[in-house]
Amino acid sequence: MTRDIHRLTPSPTEANCFSLGAISWVSRVETVGTIVSRDMAEKFLKFSVDDGTGCVTCIMWLNQLTSPYFHRFDSSTILLHSRVARRQARDIRIGAVARVRGRVGLYRGGMQITATNVVIERDPNAEILHWLECVRLSRSCYRIQS
Amino acid sequence: MANSQIESGAPITLQELYPSSPFFMEARSLRVTGLLKGYSVETAIGVIEDGEKSLKINTQHLRDVSFRVGSVYQFIGELHIEPNNEARTGRNVDGIDINLYRKTIELLRRFLEVEEDNRNMVE
Repeated sequence: MTRDIHRLTPSPTEANCFSLGAISWVSRVETVGTIVSRDMAEKFLKFSVDDGTGCVTCIMWLNQLTSPYFHRFDSSTILLHSRVARRQARDIRIGAVARVRGRVGLYRGGMQITATNVVIERDPNAEILHWLECVRLSRSCYRIQS
Repeated sequence: MANSQIESGAPITLQELYPSSPFFMEARSLRVTGLLKGYSVETAIGVIEDGEKSLKINTQHLRDVSFRVGSVYQFIGELHIEPNNEARTGRNVDGIDINLYRKTIELLRRFLEVEEDNRNMVE
């Protein structure tokens, strides 16, 4: 849940790795919530997701065609990434419920998600099921001593 | 890309909005769900109901939402004791399992409280 995302602490040894307490190291997260803000910039879309426990800023990069990061891929793959990102960005609108998956990171003192995948959830029960799943995972998985 | 400053809307049932409730505070961000019983296009004010409780919602800031009386809607916005609550987001949630929704927000709230207590004990 978003409240947990904001309480993640960086690993002292692993870059881009975070923990909630002394157990369960994570680098990727998934959240489901209502999009409450949307800000389109030249190279990225910034939006906020409210899951009822908090709001988290998400970033979807749209600079696949120009970013040096993607030079490792062939041109058809880069084009595919770009099209998928732009299509997903078009669907991100205020009031919609989205399932956002991506890498969690710390930016200017706050946690944010660099989104790799955003799916608009049309099932009105999707958020309810996500809350239940988060509670289940918290009890059965993330709180288990490693 | 600073951290989001938008306050999260706490999911509540309309039954929980009474004067001594912890949610009954001016400008508190809430998430409410109910059946749309009435809507005025002129004033953009809608009335949602859940059981015997009703709530007026000011939808003037919402875009791309069509309102149909008899459908279930969910809004996130700020509570105003007077005159109307302002919604920042709204969506049609026809098909929502309202009983499951009520039980789940109660479960979620208890779970978060226990987590908070445990966290405070550790600190």
